[in-house]
Amino acid sequence: MNLLSFALKNCKRSPARTWITIGAMAFAGAIMIFYASLIAGWLAAMERNAVGMDLGELQVHAQGYRDDPDLYKRIEDVETLVAALARAGFAAAPRLFSGGLAAAGNASSGVQLRGVDLDRERELTLLPRHVWQGEWLAAEDPAGAVIGRKLARILGLTVGDEVVLVAQAADGSTANELFRVRGILKSVGEGVDRSGFFLGAAAFRSLLLVPDGAHQLVVKRLDGSEGLAVATSRLARLLPACEVRNWQELQPVLARLLAMSDISLVIMLLITYVAVGILTLNTQLMNVFERIPEIGVMKALGFSPWSIFFLILTESAIQVTAAVLLALAAGLPFSFYFSANPIDFSDFVATSSTIAGVALDAKWYCVVTVDSVLLPVFFLYLIAGLSILYPAGKAALLNPLAAISHR
Amino acid sequence: MSRLCFAISLCLVPALLFSLLAPARALPPEEAEARAILLEIDELWRASSSQGQVRMQVRTANYTRTLVLETWSKGKDRSLVRISAPLKEKDTASLKSGATMYTYLPRTDRTIRLTSSMMMGSWMGSHFTNDDLVKESRLSEDYAPAITFRGERDGERIVEFTLTPHPEAAVVWGRIVMTVTDRGHLPLVAFYYDDDNNLARTITFHDIKELGGRRLPTRLKVVPADKPGEYTELVYESLRFDLELPDSFFSLLELRRR
Repeated sequence: MNLLSFALKNCKRSPARTWITIGAMAFAGAIMIFYASLIAGWLAAMERNAVGMDLGELQVHAQGYRDDPDLYKRIEDVETLVAALARAGFAAAPRLFSGGLAAAGNASSGVQLRGVDLDRERELTLLPRHVWQGEWLAAEDPAGAVIGRKLARILGLTVGDEVVLVAQAADGSTANELFRVRGILKSVGEGVDRSGFFLGAAAFRSLLLVPDGAHQLVVKRLDGSEGLAVATSRLARLLPACEVRNWQELQPVLARLLAMSDISLVIMLLITYVAVGILTLNTQLMNVFERIPEIGVMKALGFSPWSIFFLILTESAIQVTAAVLLALAAGLPFSFYFSANPIDFSDFVATSSTIAGVALDAKWYCVVTVDSVLLPVFFLYLIAGLSILYPAGKAALLNPLAAISHR
Repeated sequence: MSRLCFAISLCLVPALLFSLLAPARALPPEEAEARAILLEIDELWRASSSQGQVRMQVRTANYTRTLVLETWSKGKDRSLVRISAPLKEKDTASLKSGATMYTYLPRTDRTIRLTSSMMMGSWMGSHFTNDDLVKESRLSEDYAPAITFRGERDGERIVEFTLTPHPEAAVVWGRIVMTVTDRGHLPLVAFYYDDDNNLARTITFHDIKELGGRRLPTRLKVVPADKPGEYTELVYESLRFDLELPDSFFSLLELRRR
């Protein structure tokens, strides 16, 4: 009789114990498959919010601008550059920046004024589609402004309200103009939420007397399969006179946070599965103790210690495999359901909650990835395998005579 | 003299008032003398009220601009500055009332109260910050004056003061060193150092003339240490002191008057 059929029969001899063990492992496995897809969804949302919304995959600045932002440190000949980048496999959108003061009624607040290319910004980032109230900027409404959500609250503004913008123009004069709130953004990140004041590039240039150039080019790879580091080096070679940074260099804290999230998932898996492992260890130890005389007889009949060891191991493997199948059957439907129907934390998450300066989505989607399924399965096998080593080893090393007479 | 003038002339007034009004704390002779001379200097620039016209030239690496300003001040805490030229910015005005600053923008016909985040911003595109205008009246409260040199320098007898911030004071400057003539105590130069003891800016005083019945420097030049070639220069074209200015003159209503 082969080892597998032997092990199957042994599993059936104590069905209650077997099903309790399988049930515990399956429950933990299902929870962890669901949890892993939740974490994958959270990471994807963080990256999407940070990179897709505002940061962009890559950013280009004039030399020295990032260390000392200045209205006059601009990338020149932007149109030619953008066209050249398109030929090299990059989409780019120019942006203009300046500090200023926005005021409405008796309230005022410092703002980061941003002049955006209306068409290209829409192609490159999700920002134009991330409007909470009102609408995104439009060329036919040069006096329209889109502002961050916290800024709107600080100034007491709603869509349609007037807001005064004051800034220092390029000629040193005090630029000031009345704008109308055209839209209020959803939460994007601390910086944009609190001080983002968006204008069309033409309105920005007219207000601050900046006829040409841009302070930033936000850049996206046209070929998403190209590695970020490779694309960064390639772009830097194309623009030797500029500073080129990818989002991981621009937001190292966020990049580390996302990298460490995989580790946190592994730690969570280990913690959860250790409890399951202890249960498995306990049941398998009981299993071995109850079968000591039987194992003694088997050894007396010629079963080697390795045969006994692998028999116990196979019994455990059968139970883990059954648990994994049940976990997949129970966990994956939840993951797939919540990947289409997000968990809504709107009532609990503050309107502008952020982590590492990146907005948290109030709606939490699951994302089912290969890793989010295989990691929980792999760790379930690993922990179960480790926990069976002691009972299997104990059984393998039993003395046949002592075992047969064991009561 | 105008509030602006006072601000730029190192804000020495309150130090004096403070020293006069302070209870009978026995100051060391050196410090008492320093405060007394500061009071004298301050009196030079300050009166119960003032009105003047100032031409301000700002030169930076990117632009040069000249503004003509009308200024009014009353006491320590009230001042009004209104641009009269160029035409593009005519009637733009700043009002300081206590620790609060307002700006009137004629183009949009709006008055804005400056928040703390704007206080370090440039005032009228010059090398002065809004904070300079507000904080100057607290200089004596935040800094301890001491005479650090008295004698002849460059052929002129001078007195040099060093203002050191009190440990708990929330101030921008780590140290201010100013030099005045020994005779008449007219300001000559002031050096502003940051917290790392690096020179941040220098203000020099020139063209001593009689204006408004007082003999005082009529040209001030502010040179930032980290921007070679840049400066802001103020030339006082007229000054009148001890005018009858009602408190209501320094109101938001007056700020908006064109």
